[in-house]
Amino acid sequence: MKEQIIKFNKHIAAMAVVMLFAVAFLSSSMAMAAVHSFNFTAKTLPNGQLGYATGGADAEAVIPGPALFVKQGDTIQITLTNNTAADVGFSVPGLVNSNSAKATPGQTQNYTLHANKTGTYVYHGDNNGKELLGLFGAIIVDKKNGPIDSFVNGDGSIVPVTQADLDKQFVLFMVGSTFWGTEISADGVQKPLWAAPDLGAVENDLVRFHVLAIGPGHTFHLHAHRWLKTDTTTIIDTKLLNDGTDTHSFTIKAGSGVGPGDWQFHCHLIAHMEAGMHGSFRVDPVGGDGHSVVGASPYGNILLGTRPSEPGLVTLEVSDEPASWFRSPRGDAIVGLPFDIKTKSLEVMYPGSSVNFIMSDTNGVHTISSLLWPSGAHHMPFNQSAAYRGGGIVKLTTPGLYVFTCKVHPYMFGAVIVDDPETEGLDLGNPAMDYKIDLVTGIAGLPTSSDLAVRLLRTFFVATSPSNWQDYSTGIWNLRFPTLPVRISGAPFGNIEDGGLALALSALNVIDAPLAVGAAPEKPGVGEVWVNTQFEKTAGKYKPGTTTVVDTTNWTVKRKVALPEINNNNPHNMWTNRDQSVIYQTQWFDTKLSMINRETGALIKNITVGNTPSHVVTLPSNDDLTIAINGENGVAIIPAGTTTVSKMLPTQAHGHTSANPHGHWVSADGTKIVTPNINTNDIGIYGATGGIHARTPTGNNAPGAHPIAIGMMPDSSKIYAANLLHHSLSVVDGASGALLKTINLIADYNPIDGSFADNDGNGAIAVGVLPIQSPVSPDGKAVVIAATGGQIVIVDTKTDKIVKMLPCDPGCHGANFGAKEGGGYYAYVTTKFGNRLTVVDIDPDNNGDISDAHIAGYVSLVDTASTAKDDTVSSLPGFGGQGVLAVPNVYNGWVQNLPDVWKSGLTAAQRNPIGH
Amino acid sequence: MSFQVNQSSCDMPLSQSAIETAKIPYRSFCARAAAGFALAMSISFIGADKSYAAEHVIEMTAKDIADDGFGNKLLAYQMLSHRIDGLDVTDRYSNAPTIPGPIIELTEGDKVKLTLLNTIDPAYPVSGTSKQVSVHVHGVHYKILSDGTLRVINRKLDEGAGEGPEDTFASYEYEWDVAPGTAGTWPYHDHNYENHNGSEHKGLFGAIIVNPAATPRPQNAYKFSKEYVLYLGDDAFWGVEIDSTTKKQTKHGVNPTLNAPKNTDVRFHLIALGTDLHNFSLNNYKWFDPGTHNLINQVAIGPLEKHVFVIRSKNSTQYVDNNFSNKLLGMKGRFIVD
Repeated sequence: MKEQIIKFNKHIAAMAVVMLFAVAFLSSSMAMAAVHSFNFTAKTLPNGQLGYATGGADAEAVIPGPALFVKQGDTIQITLTNNTAADVGFSVPGLVNSNSAKATPGQTQNYTLHANKTGTYVYHGDNNGKELLGLFGAIIVDKKNGPIDSFVNGDGSIVPVTQADLDKQFVLFMVGSTFWGTEISADGVQKPLWAAPDLGAVENDLVRFHVLAIGPGHTFHLHAHRWLKTDTTTIIDTKLLNDGTDTHSFTIKAGSGVGPGDWQFHCHLIAHMEAGMHGSFRVDPVGGDGHSVVGASPYGNILLGTRPSEPGLVTLEVSDEPASWFRSPRGDAIVGLPFDIKTKSLEVMYPGSSVNFIMSDTNGVHTISSLLWPSGAHHMPFNQSAAYRGGGIVKLTTPGLYVFTCKVHPYMFGAVIVDDPETEGLDLGNPAMDYKIDLVTGIAGLPTSSDLAVRLLRTFFVATSPSNWQDYSTGIWNLRFPTLPVRISGAPFGNIEDGGLALALSALNVIDAPLAVGAAPEKPGVGEVWVNTQFEKTAGKYKPGTTTVVDTTNWTVKRKVALPEINNNNPHNMWTNRDQSVIYQTQWFDTKLSMINRETGALIKNITVGNTPSHVVTLPSNDDLTIAINGENGVAIIPAGTTTVSKMLPTQAHGHTSANPHGHWVSADGTKIVTPNINTNDIGIYGATGGIHARTPTGNNAPGAHPIAIGMMPDSSKIYAANLLHHSLSVVDGASGALLKTINLIADYNPIDGSFADNDGNGAIAVGVLPIQSPVSPDGKAVVIAATGGQIVIVDTKTDKIVKMLPCDPGCHGANFGAKEGGGYYAYVTTKFGNRLTVVDIDPDNNGDISDAHIAGYVSLVDTASTAKDDTVSSLPGFGGQGVLAVPNVYNGWVQNLPDVWKSGLTAAQRNPIGH
Repeated sequence: MSFQVNQSSCDMPLSQSAIETAKIPYRSFCARAAAGFALAMSISFIGADKSYAAEHVIEMTAKDIADDGFGNKLLAYQMLSHRIDGLDVTDRYSNAPTIPGPIIELTEGDKVKLTLLNTIDPAYPVSGTSKQVSVHVHGVHYKILSDGTLRVINRKLDEGAGEGPEDTFASYEYEWDVAPGTAGTWPYHDHNYENHNGSEHKGLFGAIIVNPAATPRPQNAYKFSKEYVLYLGDDAFWGVEIDSTTKKQTKHGVNPTLNAPKNTDVRFHLIALGTDLHNFSLNNYKWFDPGTHNLINQVAIGPLEKHVFVIRSKNSTQYVDNNFSNKLLGMKGRFIVD
């Protein structure tokens, strides 16, 4: 413990000397300002977080960084040596700083600050979000003489306090949704309390709190205590710390007027409370010791931690970066271990340690939601009632595998294995319950030996490891899993005894399998297909994503639209205007909708529309844009001919749980907007000018069905919604909203042994695991479902039965229809973890019977020498296929609006798909 | 002083006996004692000039309220009874559950005994492990057993009405000491329903307005023609208008139209709640930032902060939240001066 304590006694002694001088010179009215010099070193902590240390090369980096106490008029000199791999600066908003440069790795920089104003200031590393990993601390500038603060006494009197009156001080940083603390004793000794500590004091102690925030804002509340709002006479007990950097210092008399107790302190934002942002301020009766309880330490009991006797902390950074959506800050080191771990999104720690989440590398809003956990685990499920900016922290005591996701972006995965050190191999389930796991969908006690558990694990290792993706441009495919042995449930998988040690997951490896794109469709399509290759990286921007334009006359990649000038971020879905000259495109990890010139690929306008917009559809009646604001509670409207949002139509009644609509659709007459509400697990039918017509629950009341995308019959008679986590398709009456049918897409699958059979007796063996987009063909014959488990499922709308399953690449996601030359329709299907487009012909002989639907061909989405581009593809070529849009738009309602130049390429039936 | 003794004698055995008597409304003894005490207080002070502390005996309940037409319900507090030194003032409140809940006016020096019932439909869907509701109040003094939190937080008791994760009570009594130094407007809200965070965001919130003792009473009550409590939620204002003469509380609900007589002083009490941060403005009006002499025309406010200001009513206008999405959702209301 000793090395944890940073001694500032020397500094205090120096200050005392300075004070003596100050007193000595007072009579001559000379301003005597002290100069404080600190040697700072930025370091990487064992869990990959970053922190500042003071006092030499061997000093321990702490989070928050060392608190600097100075007096008004003093000068602070910082010599910063950067021993991390990132550029690190020393920025102090509010104070004049001599140097804005950053120290590159290994370099030293000097900063001189003038503390000319009293107050509490954040210092931070100024490194593009990485400062939220721990490069932050407090500078407290107090008045030179006299009282430094006042407190509200139990009798209502306002009592001034001097530095000498204080019994202790706390620095509490609010970062993401985690409190990081330092305790400072009366004699100035600083003790790190790390993440999520419990604070302690003795009744009537005078305690000064320095609450600081960096990143998204908070409100700080401490139960049963009151204090003064800085520089006012107003007494408060809750204080806003606004977005960016903000601070608030105050002094209380512990338990004054209220007595001893475990008084909670917390952020008062609901989502942050739900994410674990709270602690206890324990006021002991007089005679107690008033000790604080240290929280979870980056040095503690985690894989490769240096202090196994202390509770540890692993951290996952929430990022917009493909595959690394929940990235361990030591992910590179983990990938470098000799265990063939290809993912940066897996952490290992030991029971009693905590996992910390920080949304430090994203422009979107998210949730941090448990997807599966060891049966019987404490603190599970972990979830928030709304999407937000911040982070989360949760202590995990039960051994086993925990997988977290974001409900808004449900392929963002992060996993933590809490390993019982007494067992050999990594525990995948709860050892006390035969290594079983529970799923958020209500499945409890699933053996980790089951086929479903193994599939989920495989999905995790594919989604989070680009080296496991199917890159058709290389001609071969390798799928590698860690070589570490795991401990799973008993039979049937692998004939293991209960709680047996299984083979390493690498038994599932696929090595050097040939991978060919496959032939293009023989028959051309009409026009273009725009594909959101949402993960493709380009050289000219930090954020991922391009849009790939396929020419359907020759099945080549005609253009890549990256939009580096706006740092285009995860383009997700598209629609087009009436004359097909403008593409509307959402940025799903951001707040924007882009308008793009279809012919040139040039940006027309980048428009703020709300948090995490997912899909955009025009009203065929008046060309207004409807944009599902997936991170919030409504559908934004941009009136035709304008470029700003005029209003947001609420998707729920006031005060009710936010619906968070995702892949909506609009009725062919433009009167209704239909949304799949991922947060409330229902389908909402809304008037295009407002009003809630129906809210229809999906998933047969199973928790978390997660309806994600809507398809509609061309005459709007029926609505189809794919339920991602319920593996089902809901069929809803288009007029009344009544639920007509729930089609189980995994009826033919045995989740334990993995066998397939026609269990639902529909004459086809067909399975659609994790279904996403589910459009209805413009002629109303077929629903084509892209299932992320790697299947395409086709449903006949006449019978609402599954008629066919076709193969798809891993992460199958988007589907949309375009016209086939000479009549009929192609369904264009995209995949996230493959880089080709699958073209499905739903009715090759055009006889109305869709049971002969087949894959007409494939198109590589990798750019070629002849591809027009606005940026250079740098990695993940053609990957991340999600939204897909065929131009011309041939859906009923829209096709009739096409200009003649587009109509001329269509057959009479295509021009009027249901009135023909 | 006798009040203090009374309180501690009630507090002492409770945590001991709670486990054995988990199904019994354990505070009935204290409630009876308090009622007797209140009666004694009111009798002894009849006819006296009431320039000293009052005792408030309050009974409230929590209910599920009218759904959105699709079966989704919110929760709300309802005032059942409020006696001030024995004087029944219950008619100043709505006789139905409301959002916001009752606005309770107090004065520094007062004492409050609040008994909470739980009449939420047992079929109301609960996503967590607690069916217990509570009142957690801000600002005033109370001992740990009146914190209105679950045992997992306070290490004592599940302090609410209904079935908690560890303790079950038919009703729960809270004692507040409206001590000197607590003047101001403060929220109260549930902290126990569904889980240890409570269900404040589902409608279980209200406010207390603590008048300073220094102001002579009852004059201070007539200083403003109207008072408005506006809660800023994640998609709407939830408001209530209080007539300062009759004390009647009306216009509960979403984005209410507020009325004020021209050229009178009116007081706004803003409190935020939920996950959003807000930026409030009352178009064309300026006011003093509380505790300062700085004139402002907008204020940033975050969940459970309060912001109280006074204006002289001159012209009709709108109050609005300038948060990007909330503004687009129409989070605003009319302020009519006539």
